Amino acid sequence: MINEKINVHQFLVLVTLFTIGTTILVVPSGLAAAAKQDAWIVSIVGTGIGFIVIGIYHALVRSYPEMTIIQMNEKLFGKWIGKIVSLIFISLPFIYTSILMIYNGSFLTSHIMPDTPLPVLTMLMMVIVAMGVRLGIETIARSGEIFLVFFFILFAFLVIFVSPNIEFENIQPVFESKINTIFGASINLVVTSTINSVILLMIFPLVTRYKDAIKSFYIGNFIGGAVIIVITLLSILVLGADSTARQAYPSFILARRINVGNFVQRTEGVIAVMWFITIYFKMVLYFFASVLGVSQIFNLKHYRPLTLPMALIVGALSILMFEDVVKQQNFDVKASILYSITVGLFIPLLLLLVHAIRKRKNENKDDPQLIQKRE
Amino acid sequence: MAVVGILIISAVIIAIDVPPLVRKKRKKELAIFSSLLLFGTALSIALARGVQIPNPLDFITWIFKPFSELIVKIG
Repeated sequence: MINEKINVHQFLVLVTLFTIGTTILVVPSGLAAAAKQDAWIVSIVGTGIGFIVIGIYHALVRSYPEMTIIQMNEKLFGKWIGKIVSLIFISLPFIYTSILMIYNGSFLTSHIMPDTPLPVLTMLMMVIVAMGVRLGIETIARSGEIFLVFFFILFAFLVIFVSPNIEFENIQPVFESKINTIFGASINLVVTSTINSVILLMIFPLVTRYKDAIKSFYIGNFIGGAVIIVITLLSILVLGADSTARQAYPSFILARRINVGNFVQRTEGVIAVMWFITIYFKMVLYFFASVLGVSQIFNLKHYRPLTLPMALIVGALSILMFEDVVKQQNFDVKASILYSITVGLFIPLLLLLVHAIRKRKNENKDDPQLIQKRE
Repeated sequence: MAVVGILIISAVIIAIDVPPLVRKKRKKELAIFSSLLLFGTALSIALARGVQIPNPLDFITWIFKPFSELIVKIG
């Protein structure tokens, strides 16, 4: 179908970037609003639950290592039902590409470039996303390897320079919130960083040596989770739970607190660059999955010709969907979690169920004793 | 003005992608490419002219409304 291949290490890089994704800027605030100073415990629990979710994907790719989830749908559900399920599946990365574009646009217009009109920013971002997808997954993965290094250098910079501002009173008392609150709040994190990574099952068959690839799925989730835990912990230790919850972008404010000898100051650009790197790769992966998905639904030979028309639709959709921040929040809180769970958890579980039923049927058919009995 | 810009973008997309498809006679690809491009261009022009278009997010929120209310009740 497509003869591009990425290696296990590159897949690890992509999983890591995808897991960190938007969470680095947005998630600490939501976690702190729900669990106050225990938000860092929530992020640990969330990363832990993430491993269970990946376990489900593991079971799925073990049975069909050389198929994307679209091809699995068609094989297990039959041609037409399979195509309908695939369309529902593909709607998720497609809509989420536009939503990430909105995230990106609202962050840029509120903090970095307030005078630039939103459609221009959207268009510029869409051009580089479409360019990445047209160049193919190999190029994306290789640039991911380079940018991940940048990311961790900036991350180390942030952690080292912000740590003098830590005040340990901010996380005390520890374990004040109830266990229900901790688990409830962690769902948000599990959905944004792990359940949405179901779209990586579109890329999985392109990885050489898939047996090791699933290992990088777990490791990538762990590295990404560790970054999120550190960022949440730092936000709470430095800013305090209340002010973390009040900010839309707490880690951005966190970087603003950096002040080394009245010389290294106003370094929030650092966190903005980290966010650009991770959101760009998350967006590219979402978009790649949707373009590849559409081409597989229609059995096309190549996905590349669909990139630009779909980029045009994504750009238009993101401007259409960006009405106001309240609506955006409303969608995030009420619908997007359920939408992700339906696509990212329910469809894979359904596939596993159908797979188990079919397998049992086939075994019964081949079982010599049963054949004898029938005779 | 914006409409002209959108039409130029669509023309550029056609100029990039259509010739190779025509040369290789990939009719299926060409059909899906054209319908996607037509949809995208129409959507963009409608947006630029300020036509009221229903927001897809509202649709998704509407689908999941019963479930999200259920969760609020339990939680």
